[in-house]
Amino acid sequence: MSRRHVWSARFACGALLLLGGCIASNVVARNERMVVATVAELQFAPAPSLPLAGLYESLEITGDAAIALRKVYYLFLADGAYAAAWLTEPDGKPGFQTGNGTWTTSAAGLSLDGAEPVLLEQAEDHLRITAPNGVLVLRRGTVQ
Amino acid sequence: MVRKLLSWLGGLFVLALCASAVFALVVVKDRIRLVVQLDQTAAGPDPAALLRDDVAMLQRDLGELRTALGGNFERLGTALEERAETRHAAAQQEVQQLARAVASLQQGQDGLQAVSARLLAKADAIERDVAGVAATVARSAAAAAADAAAIPSPLAEPPKPAEPQPVAVPPVEAAPAPVPATATPGSQPAAKKGSFLSFSVPTAKFEFDQPHDYVLVPELCRVGFDAKSTLHDFTGVTSKVKGQFHADFDDPSGAWTGEVECEAKTLVTGVDGRDTSMQEHLDTAQHPQIRFAIGKFEPGAVDAAKQMADGTIVGTMTIRGQTRDVRMPVKISVDASRRVVVEGQMPLKISDYGVPVPSQLGGTITMQDEVSVWIALRARITTGATK
Repeated sequence: MSRRHVWSARFACGALLLLGGCIASNVVARNERMVVATVAELQFAPAPSLPLAGLYESLEITGDAAIALRKVYYLFLADGAYAAAWLTEPDGKPGFQTGNGTWTTSAAGLSLDGAEPVLLEQAEDHLRITAPNGVLVLRRGTVQ
Repeated sequence: MVRKLLSWLGGLFVLALCASAVFALVVVKDRIRLVVQLDQTAAGPDPAALLRDDVAMLQRDLGELRTALGGNFERLGTALEERAETRHAAAQQEVQQLARAVASLQQGQDGLQAVSARLLAKADAIERDVAGVAATVARSAAAAAADAAAIPSPLAEPPKPAEPQPVAVPPVEAAPAPVPATATPGSQPAAKKGSFLSFSVPTAKFEFDQPHDYVLVPELCRVGFDAKSTLHDFTGVTSKVKGQFHADFDDPSGAWTGEVECEAKTLVTGVDGRDTSMQEHLDTAQHPQIRFAIGKFEPGAVDAAKQMADGTIVGTMTIRGQTRDVRMPVKISVDASRRVVVEGQMPLKISDYGVPVPSQLGGTITMQDEVSVWIALRARITTGATK
């Protein structure tokens, strides 16, 4: 091998190393492999006098209610009425159920159909309703 | 003389003055009358007369107004009375309707109570029937056993002497004892209905140490691999994951079944050229799925109270159409939404599955044969699943 070829090989190796250095390692850290919900970043505060009217869809359901519920929609009307739909999956067959009634808010929280009030909190365009058997995080939507 | 003359002149002067006065009076007499008449006209009629006239007119107007108002007040009073009567009649009708509704509701309540009483009576009758049937079946079984003992069997095996039958069958009574509330064998208890806010949903408790059917939540699952190469390390990852499994975290026998699979062509490493090369090496056109079949679970430490466990999943991995036995250590926990979280990692040689080890520039840049395959899965209980 001539001296010229040796220098060419050295130059190629150096270029490859430089090129490799330009491409950084992109290994996902072990503790970042799991999909993380963004709801945890919201800062909720009690909102007893929140103007509740509007459409909401659930972002997260936790607690025992999450075993049966897959999705929840609430339409709160300004006149104190509400309509709701909830998605369940009994025996693996998804289906919506619907209901309606009345809502009121007080210092104690949100009361549906005159039942015991539950804690109502809000973050930006979000609600969090804490019931004895589950917590529901809702995001405000629009009625088309 | 002069004095006389002056007297005469004075007398004449006085006469002249008188004559002039008379003459002037005669001349201007008419004008003076005219001026007097004009003054009388300007003064107008007698104010007292006018005032009297005004008072008289006011009295007439007042009389007419009193007459008119009196009629209107009468009409207004009549109208108000009619309206009050109409309202009263409407209110009476409403009260009558409400009374009828209340009576109807009371009748409905009475009817419901009657239906409820009939249903309870029927339930009691059914309970008695079931108890009677159970007793009859037990009696029949005892009789059949006695018959079997009495009649020789056609089979070659000689009959065994009939053992004395314990008198376990209670005598049939006219009023059978109530049937206990336990379910019949093999039947599953019906899912109870509970409520969450305004929803009526099946009440299900997550019991970590009980067997359940689980289904993966694709939106919350990731699988991937970490690889090392000459120049740098990288991760391939995909969220196109699906699968289901049946598991009992507390079962020492580890009788798990299930499968997890991902779309091989959706694995991405962050570099397009490398992804294309990876798909060629995995031959995703012919073998689009990477499949992990669960054979059993070897439990390690299980803490049912904290809902945590670890152990090893034993199964088979299929990559590029090649299936090999694998063992993946996993950690299991439960998140706030009662979903099972399964995290695991294991080493794997891609050459074992017929995947060519990537190499570039005549072997100058090579990827290590062994990669670290990992899973980060979330699965939820299949509601209504049987244990």
